[in-house]
Amino acid sequence: MNKKTIISALDDKARKLKILAKGKEAVRRKLAVTAEKLRLKAKQLAVTAKKKETVRHKLVATAQGKEDVRHKLVATAQGKEDVRHKLVATAKGKEDVRRRLVVTAKKLAVTAKEKESIRRKLAVTAKEKESIRRNLAVTAKQLAVTAQEKEDVRRKLAVIAEELRLKAKQLAEAKAKDEAMLASIGDGLVATDTEGKIALMNKAFEEMLGWKEAEIQGKLFSEIVPMVDENGKHMSESGRSINIILKKRVKATITTATSYYKRRDGTFFPVVITTSPIFSENEFIGVIEVFRDITKEKDIDKAKTEFVSLASHQLRTPLTTVSWYSEMLLAGDAGMLNDAQKKYLDEIYKGNKRMVDLVNALLNVSRMELGTFIVDPEPTDILALAQSVVSDFKPQIDQKKLKFSEKHADNLPILNADPKLLRMVFQNLLANAIKYTPDKGKITLELTLSDAQGLVSNAKGQISNILIKVSDNGYGIPKAHQSSIFTKLFRADNVREKDTEGTGLGLYIVKAIVDHSGGKIWFESEENKGATFYVTLPLAGMKKKEGTKTFA
Amino acid sequence: MDTQEKKQSILIVEDEVSLRNALRDKLMREGFHVLEARDGEEGLEVALHEHPDLILLDIVMPKMDGMTMLDRIHADTWGKNVKVIVLTNLSDVGIAHATYDYLVKSDWKIEDVIAKVRERLGE
Repeated sequence: MNKKTIISALDDKARKLKILAKGKEAVRRKLAVTAEKLRLKAKQLAVTAKKKETVRHKLVATAQGKEDVRHKLVATAQGKEDVRHKLVATAKGKEDVRRRLVVTAKKLAVTAKEKESIRRKLAVTAKEKESIRRNLAVTAKQLAVTAQEKEDVRRKLAVIAEELRLKAKQLAEAKAKDEAMLASIGDGLVATDTEGKIALMNKAFEEMLGWKEAEIQGKLFSEIVPMVDENGKHMSESGRSINIILKKRVKATITTATSYYKRRDGTFFPVVITTSPIFSENEFIGVIEVFRDITKEKDIDKAKTEFVSLASHQLRTPLTTVSWYSEMLLAGDAGMLNDAQKKYLDEIYKGNKRMVDLVNALLNVSRMELGTFIVDPEPTDILALAQSVVSDFKPQIDQKKLKFSEKHADNLPILNADPKLLRMVFQNLLANAIKYTPDKGKITLELTLSDAQGLVSNAKGQISNILIKVSDNGYGIPKAHQSSIFTKLFRADNVREKDTEGTGLGLYIVKAIVDHSGGKIWFESEENKGATFYVTLPLAGMKKKEGTKTFA
Repeated sequence: MDTQEKKQSILIVEDEVSLRNALRDKLMREGFHVLEARDGEEGLEVALHEHPDLILLDIVMPKMDGMTMLDRIHADTWGKNVKVIVLTNLSDVGIAHATYDYLVKSDWKIEDVIAKVRERLGE
């Protein structure tokens, strides 16, 4: 450091000391001011202290005054408290009152409801009263009517009583007549109740069977009188007409002619029985059966059959003689014949053959009528049968130069039929067609399936039958004779000369066979145009029929 | 018997003379040896004695009918198997049988009867 710096520094310091001295003067001045101010202030403070004392006195007075006020406030508060208690009490009282009012209100409400309900009930009661009143009015009217009616009824009853008396008299008379009738009829009669117990029987019953009414009244008829077959063997009761009717209670009459009744003593006899149910006002009340001893009829039938058999047998013997000897002569067994001799012998042979045919036909007819023929069905190929008959007729067809055609359905079934009878049907129809068609004519045979009316289309009806159709374009059947075609020994006028070989019984026999098989036979024909014969045979087949004879 | 060994013998049992003769004549013409009987009794005797190859048997005959005779023949050891053709004019059933034919005379030509005889013999 150099002197300059020190000088500088001392300058600085000098300067600063001057500042400081100035400053200190300033400060001294300020302090003097301040001391003046402080002297003023002390004066002020003394005033203030006086004032403060005054105020203190006042404050004490005020405090006193405050204390009084405070006491008053307390009293006021007490008084408020009392009022408050009173208000609470009042509030409680109000609450009680309010509650009571609520209760009362509720009670009033209930009461109001009850009143309403009572009011309604009263209203209903009023209605009912009105209704009762009306009813009473009606009843009163009715009573008035009843009184009148009673009088009418009384009068009517008197009339009815009289009528009843008359009716009773009539019934008694009718009863007497019925009893007389029952006693006098020759057939046996029995009436049973709904269980088959005997309610009533007649004298003929007693005589035929050997039982007295008193002994068997109320007993089961079917037990007292067993049904047996021709060997005396008991037959099944379930098939017996009376049991069928008792069980089924249908309004139908059943007649049977194939059984025997056993007498009290064990012997038996053939009967024809007719059984019917008894309905009284649509209520089934029992069964009535009438039966007749047909021993005599059966014997007569037997005699007839035997006579016919015997007669036909006796007739056939000379016919055989003529036939065989003519045949041997014609065969040259007794030497060569000239043309004339051959021709005459031929006539003898043919004439004889006709007689043989006639005897056979008569035998068949008699068997049919006596019902003694047999039906012995077996599975039969109807087409094969028809064709075999056709081939039998071939010589005649060729001889007359007839045009024969056949048309058959593909689906012909095997039919349960008696081939012998079926063969006769075909033989007859074809023989007729051939006989009654002139040379070079046309014959067709058709076999198809159809319904029972012979309708072939499937549209309506059920396929239930075989239909045989034989048609020709020959002489036909005149309208006048068409209704007699199926009768015995009938030959229509227009062909009488043409057919010298027939028996006139063919169609009668065929119809009998067809009817018996459950089928139908009919024809369409116009004179000189031809004829078509139709036969339906049910697919169900023929029923087996016991008998004693076959057809010739 | 030995001289006729070639011919077959047919026994005709038939009461009707004309028919019996017709059958005999025809059969002889056809080369058969013929035996005859007028009723069942005779027929039985001849059959059991002569042992024919075939019997043509009528039914309705006096003394013994054809069916009775047949039963009697069947009782015999030889007779059990003899060939029989029933030739009758009855057409009753109950007589159809497996062991013999049943022909109604009036329905059969005599030449067809012979044919049947040959047929039965040929079996």
